[in-house]
Amino acid sequence: MIRNYTLSNTISRGLIYLFLVALLLVTIIPIWLLIVNATRSTTEIQNGISILPSTHLIDNYRILLSRGLNIWRGFQNSFVLAAATTIISVYFSMLTAFGIVVYDFKGKKLFNNFIIVLVMIPMQLSIIGFYHYMSRLGLTDNYLALILPSIASAGTVFFAKQYLESMVIHELIDAARIDGAGELGIFHRIMMPLAVPGMATIGIFAFVASWNNFFTPFILISSRDKYTLPMLVKTLQGDVYRTEYGAIYLGLAMTVVPIIVIYAIFSRYIVSGIAMGAIKE
Amino acid sequence: MLISNRKKYYGYLFITPFLIGFLLFGLYPVYNTFALSFTDTTLMSREATHIGLDNYTRLFADDLFMRAVSNTWLLWTLNFIPQIGIAMLLSVWFTSTRLRLKAVGTWRALFYLPNLLTPAAIAALFFSLFSFYGPVNQFLVRGGFLEEAMHFLQDVEITRGLVIFIQWWMWFGQTIIILMAGMSSIPIQLYEAAMVDGAGGFQMFRRITLPLLKPILIFIFVTSLVGGMQLFDIPYLLTDGRGAPQGSIMTNIVLMYLKFGSSQGHIGAASSVGVLIFIMTTVCALSIFYFLRDKDQDAEIRSRFRLRLQRTEGGSRSAGAPTLPGGEAR
Repeated sequence: MIRNYTLSNTISRGLIYLFLVALLLVTIIPIWLLIVNATRSTTEIQNGISILPSTHLIDNYRILLSRGLNIWRGFQNSFVLAAATTIISVYFSMLTAFGIVVYDFKGKKLFNNFIIVLVMIPMQLSIIGFYHYMSRLGLTDNYLALILPSIASAGTVFFAKQYLESMVIHELIDAARIDGAGELGIFHRIMMPLAVPGMATIGIFAFVASWNNFFTPFILISSRDKYTLPMLVKTLQGDVYRTEYGAIYLGLAMTVVPIIVIYAIFSRYIVSGIAMGAIKE
Repeated sequence: MLISNRKKYYGYLFITPFLIGFLLFGLYPVYNTFALSFTDTTLMSREATHIGLDNYTRLFADDLFMRAVSNTWLLWTLNFIPQIGIAMLLSVWFTSTRLRLKAVGTWRALFYLPNLLTPAAIAALFFSLFSFYGPVNQFLVRGGFLEEAMHFLQDVEITRGLVIFIQWWMWFGQTIIILMAGMSSIPIQLYEAAMVDGAGGFQMFRRITLPLLKPILIFIFVTSLVGGMQLFDIPYLLTDGRGAPQGSIMTNIVLMYLKFGSSQGHIGAASSVGVLIFIMTTVCALSIFYFLRDKDQDAEIRSRFRLRLQRTEGGSRSAGAPTLPGGEAR
């Protein structure tokens, strides 16, 4: 009886591992082909599939740069934009979450529910009204239009609130008050240093979201020298690069590899960050 | 505590920047989109006239809009069902104490990877992989699976299938992580008690896991729906940006962008698309959230389990809704 049970358990485990390996191949192969093809010449790519890298990375890089597409400029733009958005959204979300978690005030519950409702509302659909409004202010084609809205990012506030609820020590705050610290001082000098791990996790997500954002900059930004990497992807698909497969793959890989590197370093924080909200009632 | 109470008004101070930001960059653009949708504003025009509901009647007059809406629902539904199915299966396996699978954390981390990658780059990648001279055709023809190379992206079913596949591929890993967080917060004593009562694996899944996961399932459902209704990058960059072949992957936002990006730049018409999709999505999301979230039933299940727990061991933890930062889920 018991032996039978272990036997069937071993078999089902074997089958499950087989299934997982198949699923893993499906997950990884497209990304792997992208990276490998970035190192292969166009002729090689046209001659067949390979799962091993080749030696044409530098050639592809030269072709990529020779057709008037400034990938480093795009890299720099994406980075500056993502960094600014991250700092703004983490700081202001922490500020808001601190207000909710530490103080009791009238309308607090309402504000809480309001944040949850905001998470569920498709704000992206108001982009046309946003564009029109920004053009009246003369802020189209300006990064401010992409950075400033992150002052009020409901998803990040919700997340910051979950985090702070699990770590804020009210006694510590009271002790600081007795020592004469102001409320903003408590936030900046006591709470923020203690919340660095949580802020880092929230920050990684904010950074990746901005790095990957195509739609908003695509609508708002028009000068070529302000294009971000996802916008350059669209240029890569255009006629200039039509037959330069190696260069196209390299351009795509340069967009995606930084994220893979960040993930390789911080995957533990990122995975636990997604699950972070699953706390008790 | 006493001191905190005296500092009440500071709560308002701390949430004020958010509220101002929300009014300026959240609420006003929504209002402006509604207002514009009743005008004939274009990118060029300095002045606009009110044309009442003309934009809306025009939307319903040609079938493009209804096609975009039904495409979007189709693409979302067909990606969501396998997404939640596979994720549920894997989460059950990964948390099973009987199977005790190895390296669960690594599997999970690898399955999640596609979610972080730039959707625009992913669309362009699949466009290259499935192009006429691309690797997929090479593989299928040389392997003898196809007589000759195919124009995959000119076939309605295959192109839709690709969008669905990409969406599934990008999101099932994240769903696993959220489901597992929910499952691991269900007290193990519940399963032990059920086992003592002679319950089988599937029975325990149906009677314990599913009901206690309900808040998390609703969360996944709603965020995925809201994201799915805003699907843009993948269908826009996978083919010609107009929903080819034959408008089969033209989604709500692709249509909105087409109105906006047309040679005249019909801001008014584009706004009316945005408004209708905004209303449809918000109504669906909020009603799912409020109608499915019957707290009484949850409370009843929990109290029943608590009685059990008192017999075995004290203390009960339950599954709260997990949360995602920043980006939108699909």
